[in-house]
Amino acid sequence: MKERALQVLLVEDNAGDVRLLREMFNGEKPGSFELTHLLRMSEAETHLAKGGVDIVLLDMGLPDGHGLDTVRRAHRVAPNIPMIVLTGLDDEALAAEAMKEGAQDYLIKGQIENRALPRALRHAIERHRMQTETDLIRTQQLHFKDQFLSHVSHELRSPLSAIRQFVTILLDGLAGELQPEQHEYMGIVLRNVKQLQAMINDLLEVSRVQAGKLMIEPQCTSISEAIAYAVDTLQGAATAKRIVLSSDAGCQLPSICTDPTRLRQILIILVDNAIKFTPPDGEVKIQARVCENDPSLLVLEVSDSGCGISPDMTERIFERLFQTSDPSLEGRKGLGLGLYICKELVRRQGGQIWAKSTPGQGSVFSVTLPIFSLPALISPAFRKEGRADGPVTLVVTEIGSQSGWLSDEVRAEQSHGVREVLQRCLHSHLDVLLPKMGVAGAVELFFIVAITDAIGGKAISKRIREQLHDHVQQAGLTLSTSYQSIAPAGRHSGESIEAFLEQLASGIQELINAKISSEEDGQCVTKRF
Amino acid sequence: MRNKKILIVDDDPDVLQGMHVRLKANHYDICLAGDTFSAVAEARRSSPDLILLDLGLPAGGGFLVMERLKMIPSLAIIPIIIVSARDGLGNQKRALDAGAKAFLQKPVDDAELLAVIRQALGESVRKDPPTFYDLGRI
Repeated sequence: MKERALQVLLVEDNAGDVRLLREMFNGEKPGSFELTHLLRMSEAETHLAKGGVDIVLLDMGLPDGHGLDTVRRAHRVAPNIPMIVLTGLDDEALAAEAMKEGAQDYLIKGQIENRALPRALRHAIERHRMQTETDLIRTQQLHFKDQFLSHVSHELRSPLSAIRQFVTILLDGLAGELQPEQHEYMGIVLRNVKQLQAMINDLLEVSRVQAGKLMIEPQCTSISEAIAYAVDTLQGAATAKRIVLSSDAGCQLPSICTDPTRLRQILIILVDNAIKFTPPDGEVKIQARVCENDPSLLVLEVSDSGCGISPDMTERIFERLFQTSDPSLEGRKGLGLGLYICKELVRRQGGQIWAKSTPGQGSVFSVTLPIFSLPALISPAFRKEGRADGPVTLVVTEIGSQSGWLSDEVRAEQSHGVREVLQRCLHSHLDVLLPKMGVAGAVELFFIVAITDAIGGKAISKRIREQLHDHVQQAGLTLSTSYQSIAPAGRHSGESIEAFLEQLASGIQELINAKISSEEDGQCVTKRF
Repeated sequence: MRNKKILIVDDDPDVLQGMHVRLKANHYDICLAGDTFSAVAEARRSSPDLILLDLGLPAGGGFLVMERLKMIPSLAIIPIIIVSARDGLGNQKRALDAGAKAFLQKPVDDAELLAVIRQALGESVRKDPPTFYDLGRI
């Protein structure tokens, strides 16, 4: 069978270089390569978009594109086509960077040996093909492992479910009173069933971590509630070992931006571990406070009076499947996944976790998590600056929450910061704003009130107009108000705050683009996501 | 006051029996079904106040049961709680989107199950009045 000619796209603006490169194909069998030559990046993009190219030879200095930018642009249009960059002698470091951006190889102009070019092209294509294949196999393997784990855990859970049901039926005396000894033994069965259940969950969780599928939905979360929950859940286990489990978390602590379920999970893992490694009559304490060095973080500490961890182990304990090799630490049960899951959960929520310990005197596990800040969350929505040539648009956003997205207390607590953001937003636009004042139509003010209720939104819209009336008159501005109705993202819809804000930002942009305005108060634009 | 009636749908007879004992002890009347078809038939026959529904069922599955029930006006309003051994990821959202009141993962904690049942049975619709938020002077 006759082999198809390899389609090579050469993007190079230097005629001398082009001639040299063409000559390098002279020794090849006719029909093995077909060279298309283009001068500009924009032409190359159009050509690549049409498809049919096997490999790109890309100069990194073009009239309409330079350096890594050319590589990125080519990669964006044709992510699955191998690329070799051509560079000058002094640009080798840059070429190495290009490899990170997806180039298969780089060739230094003037240093390409005869016949080396066709070989480099063939190698690049082959390497790219192998890489694509490896990626595909890896994805398939991950998928298979996921399916397998999901299947196995389902199959394990069903019989476990029946065991748990009947054990609790017996324990609760629904099938007749138990003798004290029988009751005790059934209690042991139940404890072990729960342990098995936790292990199955851990297995699934770890497979999710590795597949990047860990679900985390950060929202405004109360730390004291989570601590109370953990104490409640594990009080029994502590009392059984005569361990004093206490917490010290002031109710004045700020809320944090985290997934409440995940926060509870983190606390349970840490406290459960502390109880396991603390001998009877010991002590386990949960504390929380605002971080001394960084007021945007909250520090959560679980300390115990247990056996401690040797200094060389304080980092290794967070590794996957880590098990202590110390035979004196009896009572240790589990897969060695808890702290690993904990670390991943903390890390993905923008926090850190570490352990400090003095062997024989107990350990302290510390977690930092970001404090919830509405101003910080909404700030990105104000980054859409007015262009110097277009009318200035100011966007003011208020996130509404009758449906309990934020409690009244949190809103009150955050209102000052929100106001500051709004003020800063107005202020930062002043230099663009001032020269345009008095020019009709040059300045538009948009106030977008995001609130869940149409009536509420309308009322607030009106209120803002009234409040700003004098200022606007003095400045000679045109004032438009509109609002968006946005159902709060939250637990039920399974959306994260980030997703919510992204929607909000795109919604704002949409409104700006559509230039929605109202001459009279009352015309409202409602948009539901 | 008559006891509330709960239909339990699960293809595992052991689970059915266990739930039966537990809920009966809590003064609920119980009816049972073991597959997709008999779940709908039993719901029609006994008009329960609540359905505990497994997802992995012979002849269709829990989601199909929900779809079928939705087409019968008198049965469409019965609150449904999903009790499944399947992974919550994805299934939970799908179940809630389909109209389930809750998604519980097997093995279920008895106290949690009873609390969710009580909540689903006594649910009242409450709408909060809008709150206003003073932006202050800008």
